Amino acid sequence: AFVPHTDGTRYSLPGKPTEIKCRSPEKETFTCWWKPGSDGGLPTTYALYYRKEGSNVVHECPDYHTAGKNSCFFNKNDTVIWVSYNITVVATNALGKTYSDPVDIDVVYIVKPHPPEKLEVTVMKDQGWPFLRVSWEPPRKADTRSGWITLIYELRVKLEEEESEWENHVAGQQKMFNIFSLRSGGTYLIQVRCKPDHGFWSEWSSTSYVKVPEYLHREKSVWIL
Amino acid sequence: VLCVVAMCRAVPINELLERASQHSDKLHSLSTTLTQELDSHFPPIGRVIMPRPAMCHTSSLQTPIDKDQALQVSESDLMSLARSLLQAWSDPLVLLSSSASALPHPAQSTIFNKIQEMQQYSKSLKDGLDVLSSKMGSSAQAITSLPYRGGTSLGQDKITKLINFNFLLSCLRRDSHKIDSFLKVLRCRAAKMQPEMC
Repeated sequence: AFVPHTDGTRYSLPGKPTEIKCRSPEKETFTCWWKPGSDGGLPTTYALYYRKEGSNVVHECPDYHTAGKNSCFFNKNDTVIWVSYNITVVATNALGKTYSDPVDIDVVYIVKPHPPEKLEVTVMKDQGWPFLRVSWEPPRKADTRSGWITLIYELRVKLEEEESEWENHVAGQQKMFNIFSLRSGGTYLIQVRCKPDHGFWSEWSSTSYVKVPEYLHREKSVWIL
Repeated sequence: VLCVVAMCRAVPINELLERASQHSDKLHSLSTTLTQELDSHFPPIGRVIMPRPAMCHTSSLQTPIDKDQALQVSESDLMSLARSLLQAWSDPLVLLSSSASALPHPAQSTIFNKIQEMQQYSKSLKDGLDVLSSKMGSSAQAITSLPYRGGTSLGQDKITKLINFNFLLSCLRRDSHKIDSFLKVLRCRAAKMQPEMC
């Protein structure tokens, strides 16, 4: 479908939209996004169509704006679970339309929460030895209280110096974790992430920095050696 | 001995629900692992001709379709839904198990073992829910019958066997997710005194 133009440039149908992916942060809403193909040298628009399992009605994406370019956001009223959505993205320019391969999704299989929030780290003392008390809250949008979503957490901790590596700790359903055996005077970086009972790990939270007070004096540490 | 019996009977509902949801969690996780295992070796034509989810033998059961609906369902109705779904899978799980022993798939023995494991989890979950529902009153004990009418064989040729196995498993995956979700909502309602649990 190539059409030569008077100035020699060639226009074509839009390329096929690919890599359609969908994620739900809380089992209540979801977003799909895609990679556009070439525009064929012409202004090209994209539309997402979907058909729900057990229905013949085709709907168009309810919201192209909330989740940014080349995406579609389904709010609570447009989201049902245990029902599969058959999704197709269509690219259109002046020469015609190109359809993506269809994708089937069920919201319960694409849950990836937002990272935990309000990460707090406090230096505590136990018989003179310092330890870190790390606490956090579930992502605001995830309704863990009703049991609609169940989250487990993982922390990672690292000394702020080159060549030090992250050390991971599994916290389970707890929203608090203590870290012992700290380096005297060391600065630590701490992050936390969460995973639903059935779904994907969130991204890591923003980093919390904490400095452990000097608790071993030079003479004392020589003595220990 | 009497004392032990008395203590067994006295296990509080929230603890029973905690154990039940550990089982339902495991049941669903196994179905997910199995789906991935099968996907790795599924003929492309299978994706085209596999029956749609609406064809599952349990699809006539009305269940909530979002959070607002689910949270409005009473405790006894959630329990009844979970038990009806679990009951509906006791026969098809036997079929899956017998078919898995001769499934034309490179991971056949792993698949067979996982199906056996699912049967065990579903059996002990069923026993647990029988006890729980008896403590919740008669409407929790109501079961909707959802008979499986697919016969006792998944087909003759290799492709048909694989497709029907995959299809049945995809239905089980959805239903075990429903069972798990209903039980976890129940668990949180029972744990209201300790909101830290949820």
